[in-house]
Amino acid sequence: MTTTLLRPVRQLAAATLIGPRRQAVAPHAEPVTDAAAPRASIALEDVSKVYPNGRRALADVDLVVPDGDFVFIVGRSGAGKSTLIRLLIRDELATSGRVLVAGRDLRRLSRREIPRLRRQVGIVFQDFKLLPHKTVRDNVAFALEVTGTPGRQIRPAVERVLALVGLTGAADQYPNQLSGGEQQRTAIARALVHEPRVVIADEPTGNLDPLISWEIIQLLLRINELGTTVLMATHNADVVTALRRRVVALEDGRVVRDEIGGYHREY
Amino acid sequence: MIGFLLFSIRRAWQGFWRNAVMSLAATVTMTLMLMMLAGLVIGLSGMDAGLRFVEQKVEVQAFVADGTPQARVDALVAQVRALPEVADVQYIDKTQALAQWQAQLRQQGKPDYSSDTGTNPIPASILVKLKDPHVYGSVIQTLQSAQGVVTDVLETRHVVDALLTVTGFLRTAGVVVLVLVGVTVLFIVVNTIRLAVVARAEEIEIMRLVGASDAFIRWPFIFEGMLVGLFGAAITLGILALAAQPIGQAVATVVGQVPIQFDQNLGEQLVAVVGVAGLGLGAAGAFISVRTYLIR
Repeated sequence: MTTTLLRPVRQLAAATLIGPRRQAVAPHAEPVTDAAAPRASIALEDVSKVYPNGRRALADVDLVVPDGDFVFIVGRSGAGKSTLIRLLIRDELATSGRVLVAGRDLRRLSRREIPRLRRQVGIVFQDFKLLPHKTVRDNVAFALEVTGTPGRQIRPAVERVLALVGLTGAADQYPNQLSGGEQQRTAIARALVHEPRVVIADEPTGNLDPLISWEIIQLLLRINELGTTVLMATHNADVVTALRRRVVALEDGRVVRDEIGGYHREY
Repeated sequence: MIGFLLFSIRRAWQGFWRNAVMSLAATVTMTLMLMMLAGLVIGLSGMDAGLRFVEQKVEVQAFVADGTPQARVDALVAQVRALPEVADVQYIDKTQALAQWQAQLRQQGKPDYSSDTGTNPIPASILVKLKDPHVYGSVIQTLQSAQGVVTDVLETRHVVDALLTVTGFLRTAGVVVLVLVGVTVLFIVVNTIRLAVVARAEEIEIMRLVGASDAFIRWPFIFEGMLVGLFGAAITLGILALAAQPIGQAVATVVGQVPIQFDQNLGEQLVAVVGVAGLGLGAAGAFISVRTYLIR
């Protein structure tokens, strides 16, 4: 691929790297992945995604999210946010370009390695996706159970994340006994229980009223402060504008803006 | 590994009872099929035993006319013994023949009136044992051509042929029916597991998202299929165990004359055949279902 196309990515990668490694990165000397992979949670290089029906969902997307970053992905419905997230959890493969998550090139991932990648990426959805016949505790524990975590390690890990999201008191309740905010916090606890490197939240406040939405945002910020990279796709202009974090705007599958700041009205 | 097995078996158990009607329907069909399999195994085993019994008996028996000079009989015996197909020739004179017949009557507990006649109605006979029970060569002709010496020749060839025909037919027909029922069972298991997969669609999606390996997603369903097979096999063997005594008695009354010796290990063979067939079919059906509806 042309080096000119990749240059912005390299520069961004170099700019966001921290620590001793930073000096070692010469912008033109090394391919971006070698420099970015160990320190970027997410890196997309010239990524395009065309679905079998011919619809182009992403076009030439370059994006580097360093470890510990908090990034909003904004854009209208159909702008490519969902496709981007599906690429990141290796639910879909990019048609062209490279997608790196937690230092792994997702195209080179074998079938066996996909589950291991997903344990490094916690995901939270608008509709929570909780199991209705399991308690809060069991919903969270389920994520560890199905990945073969030894039984004696499950309980303490679950209690720890429940404390982190503030649901210790509701641990024995079922999802239908909880408010929307509590349900989403349960989902966040489940996403965190593997101690992932990245948490991806797809419209986490989409079903919640403004006050509860702020609770969820506060929680995601706290998680981010504890060192986890957070990538949040949202429509919530108030939140995006108020937080003054990095905002990546997608439009028709292209990155049209990538800067610190507010939510532009047109999205 | 133990955690994985416990998890899979627990989920298989839950899955089985979650859609109890379908699971039990599959189990009943499985039982039906395994009963037929067991019936076929028992039937063929009995046929084989009968065949072995007939084959090990004297293959050719020639009845000697009363009053034949001993010299002519000895000459015929020597002539038959010289034939390449013959393993052994035995001459039973009238006295021995009568004694054997009386012994047989006693064994069957029937009254013996032979002493009342005062004469011996049982003819002497020449018993020919063949090297290979299926190769007669010229034995029959040699015996029949001894005019005036041999009144009649009894050969078990017809009996053996008839038994072989029946066994062959039973085997073929049994296998055909069994395959048809087996395919039906397979479809029912596939469908049962498919319903289980659909019922768990939400869970499967979540499992994928949180990074469950394929084994954790698939094996519970395979275990669920095996559970259907296991239950089917257990019910089948239970019914067989309960029915063995009365059926055995009924069979003994009908064919009590023929001391058929069933294979000593028939019980173990049945447990193995029924168990392996049940588990195998259940696992195979589940595997097909998982391949078809779960792979993504």
